[in-house]
Amino acid sequence: MDHLLPPEIAEAGRAFPQALAACGDLDTLLRLKGVYVGREGSHAARLMDLLKTAPKEQKRDLGAAINGLKQQWEEGLKLRQTELEVAKKSLNALASSWDPTLPPPVPARGALHPLNRLMDRLVEVFRPLGFHVEEGPEVETEAHNFDGLNIPEDHPAKASSDTFYLAAHPELLLRTHTSPVQVRTLLRVAPELATRGGIRFLAPGRVYRKDEIDPTHSPMFHQVEGMLVGRGIGMQHLKGTLEYALRALFGPDTEIRLRPSYFPFVEPGCEVDVSCPLCGAQGCRVCKGSGWVEILGAGLIHPNVLRYAGIDPTEWSGWAFGMGVERMAMMLSQTPDLRLFFENDQRFLRAMGGLD
Amino acid sequence: MWIDRKALAAEIPAAAALDTRQLCELLASVGFPVDGVAQREGGDVLDVDITANRGDAMSHRGMAREVAARLHRPLAPLAPPASAEGAPQVQVRLESPACPLYATALLSLGKGGTPPEVQAFLRALEATPKGLPAVDASNELLHRCGHPTHAFDADRIRGAVSVRWARVGETLVTLDGVTRTLAAQDLVIADESGPIALAGVMGGEATKVTEATRRVLLESAWFDPKAVKATARRHSLHTDASHRFGRGADPAMASVARDLLVDRLKAWAGATLEGAWTAGALPPAGAPVALEASLLTRVAGEPLPLPEAAEILRRLGCAVDERSGSLVVQPPSWRHDLVIPEDLAEEVLRLRGYEHIPSVLPPLEGPPVPLAAEYLQRQALARRLAHLGFHQTVTYGFISPEADAAFAAPGNAVEGRTLANPLGQEYSVMRGTLLASLRATAEQNLRQGAREVRLFEVAPAHVSGPKGPTERFTLGLAWGGTLGGEDYLSPARPVQEADLAGVARDLGLARLPEVRPLGEGLFGFEVPVADLPEAGARIIPAFRPFSRFPAVERDLSLLVDLGQSHEALTTAMRGALPAEALQDLRCVDVFRHKSLPPGRQAWLMRLRFQADRTLVGAEVDGWMVAALAAAESLGAKLRA
Repeated sequence: MDHLLPPEIAEAGRAFPQALAACGDLDTLLRLKGVYVGREGSHAARLMDLLKTAPKEQKRDLGAAINGLKQQWEEGLKLRQTELEVAKKSLNALASSWDPTLPPPVPARGALHPLNRLMDRLVEVFRPLGFHVEEGPEVETEAHNFDGLNIPEDHPAKASSDTFYLAAHPELLLRTHTSPVQVRTLLRVAPELATRGGIRFLAPGRVYRKDEIDPTHSPMFHQVEGMLVGRGIGMQHLKGTLEYALRALFGPDTEIRLRPSYFPFVEPGCEVDVSCPLCGAQGCRVCKGSGWVEILGAGLIHPNVLRYAGIDPTEWSGWAFGMGVERMAMMLSQTPDLRLFFENDQRFLRAMGGLD
Repeated sequence: MWIDRKALAAEIPAAAALDTRQLCELLASVGFPVDGVAQREGGDVLDVDITANRGDAMSHRGMAREVAARLHRPLAPLAPPASAEGAPQVQVRLESPACPLYATALLSLGKGGTPPEVQAFLRALEATPKGLPAVDASNELLHRCGHPTHAFDADRIRGAVSVRWARVGETLVTLDGVTRTLAAQDLVIADESGPIALAGVMGGEATKVTEATRRVLLESAWFDPKAVKATARRHSLHTDASHRFGRGADPAMASVARDLLVDRLKAWAGATLEGAWTAGALPPAGAPVALEASLLTRVAGEPLPLPEAAEILRRLGCAVDERSGSLVVQPPSWRHDLVIPEDLAEEVLRLRGYEHIPSVLPPLEGPPVPLAAEYLQRQALARRLAHLGFHQTVTYGFISPEADAAFAAPGNAVEGRTLANPLGQEYSVMRGTLLASLRATAEQNLRQGAREVRLFEVAPAHVSGPKGPTERFTLGLAWGGTLGGEDYLSPARPVQEADLAGVARDLGLARLPEVRPLGEGLFGFEVPVADLPEAGARIIPAFRPFSRFPAVERDLSLLVDLGQSHEALTTAMRGALPAEALQDLRCVDVFRHKSLPPGRQAWLMRLRFQADRTLVGAEVDGWMVAALAAAESLGAKLRA
């Protein structure tokens, strides 16, 4: 009998079961009801109009077909409506009797690595002073890692017992500190130093030294290097910057102490202690009762380092510092074993790294 | 280095007034932190940290000089009766410029032994007294005054003594009993029979002083630091002597140390001096260094009066010529580290105390530099993944070649990334992939009882090239275990490949990376960070108009073949639909069941239309018909 119907209505009839099944709520169902059996403009209404104008001999068959369709639609809609109402009621019932102490679905929560968090924090601390981030490769040249930093030819750190070298490229090594980033950056900015009025940056990154793995040693670890080059820069600027940064990091009551020390790439050189952030300098296990914790090495850039990069040390001067990230992380968190940072147990990462 | 407090006070009497803690603080303030204090032989012994540039401080006398300069108090006199020099008893020939000066003496030993207090001093420093006065005196002198000396059994030396480079293939049995094959760069003391000592490093077994020794030939020389360091390294023979010569001994101490040694042997062992003589001469002193007032002011951060600086430098043993606006400074013979004006400025600040340096923020001269886009992108990526439930890992950059081969690109030759001297085979290759490390970490977490493991790392992957490996920042991601099942609304299910594909899509990857199985129910992918869309290229992107007219959503339930590609089906359907009105078309449910015709599955396709006008039901009906027809052309059927 379908041949008696207009094709689009026949099609609508065939599509009805799917359309009905797809109705997930009463509103949608109501719209579907309007489309099929509504008083005006619906498929059923159009069929009734069709019946009025149909030739007499077709009226009986057409009428039966239309009635069949209408009945099928109306029953289907009614059944679906009942289903949806029941479902809604039970949802309402669950919602109204919801026990808020029932464990809810909780969105998944990951974590940043604590070492990265600490490095990010250091970058944040130095940003307001105009420091940006410079980076360099882990595989470095001997020239960048040693020669450009005023490290003598026969320095023990160059030995294959201390530094990893590449088999196929004997002049390449795994950088033993982030200081080669100083060399790269100074070489790059040397021609434009006057236009820039100097440079100041941090260089966080991974470094490698040939140490066996144990609770306090790792062949890979992280450093953050800081460097500033300008006109008339002296020890007072190093002290001022570090005082600001370490107070931002450990709290406004933090005191810092510079002690003379030696690194080939700085002159004068110093080691920097902070008043113990764990005991407030009262003396504890971490500061070994002294109230002070050694935090980094620093100094004024050695003129040979500036000269190597093509910068005139009579016009420009600056300071640099380098700090061990793991060392600081272990001190702050009192993590007993360095290996935990590289084991990456999710429980450790969630507890130590987390997310802001 | 161990410093005996009593022995230190013998060199600088004013130090006796300080308690151990005060002494430690004083030493730290001038650059010699104390790592620990031990009680030995009835006194405190300090473990002092001495930086590599301060060979001159590696003795009680050297440390006392620092204390004296800081306290502004005098050292105890170091005045041995000078041995009258005479004609050489044994000829000494200096054949290499690496030994410009060689003071010596010949003595006959009498009766006696090492005094108990000297033995106690040596024991306090963890040195073993041998009971042989010539050996113990040399050792005691090294620790007390810093100048290494040596005593040979004079009767075992044949003919003249020479200081020369070794001849290739020569051998020497050193005092530790090891036979050393020498190289042409080894400086040796030799007699007519061949080498008898490694100069500045260790004496030889054949000429050593024993109980039977009746006559000793002393050596108190000055050797070039470079030569001594090289020999010590070549033979892995790092001794008290090589440390001190290697960092630069005081040439002026050579004859003084010889005299002190003679003195001790006379006193302890009843020795008689048969003769003392010196070959060579003091090496020329370094050039004087000019310290400009402007440089000192710049380094110190405030103007320092030159006379004050001059006074400090004199306290350290420098000869200072005060000029107008500068000082011309001749460092003392023991300070090889004072070479440039900055070295002198450091000395002035060091003795004044670093605590007097003012604290000033450096002025900002140029414009600040923004953080690099690549850096920000990595930071944003890490945060995004952490918020999606992933844990950031930090794993070693080197892995085993096998682990690397499992995931690294086939063209990325491992030879170019292999270390010459790895810690072990498992750490021998700079990784070309992050997946091997992530797999190991994920498996470790699952073994430790983790229900679900979600990890990522952002780190360089190394790509071999002709000039060495290049580094490409890479995102690696691993996800496995059981999802959900921990609350009443989320059913449990295993993690599937599709979950990782979802993350890849969420990160905005244009092309889906290959999702690799890493283990049972564990998957991963890695992708160069450069392939990810750049973060925040524009603060707010250009405005794109959107329709405020109502959207129409229609579902279509289709029976399709089990092998049907979703992409092919949606491409065909899209082709039949007006692009300007079709907003979305996707499969939202898959149903596979035995009630379906064999080889078929049911897909519920959801189509969403929207335009800049209200859509009419009839036209949407028409589009649905067209969409179905397009699907049918691929063999799909409307599900009844």
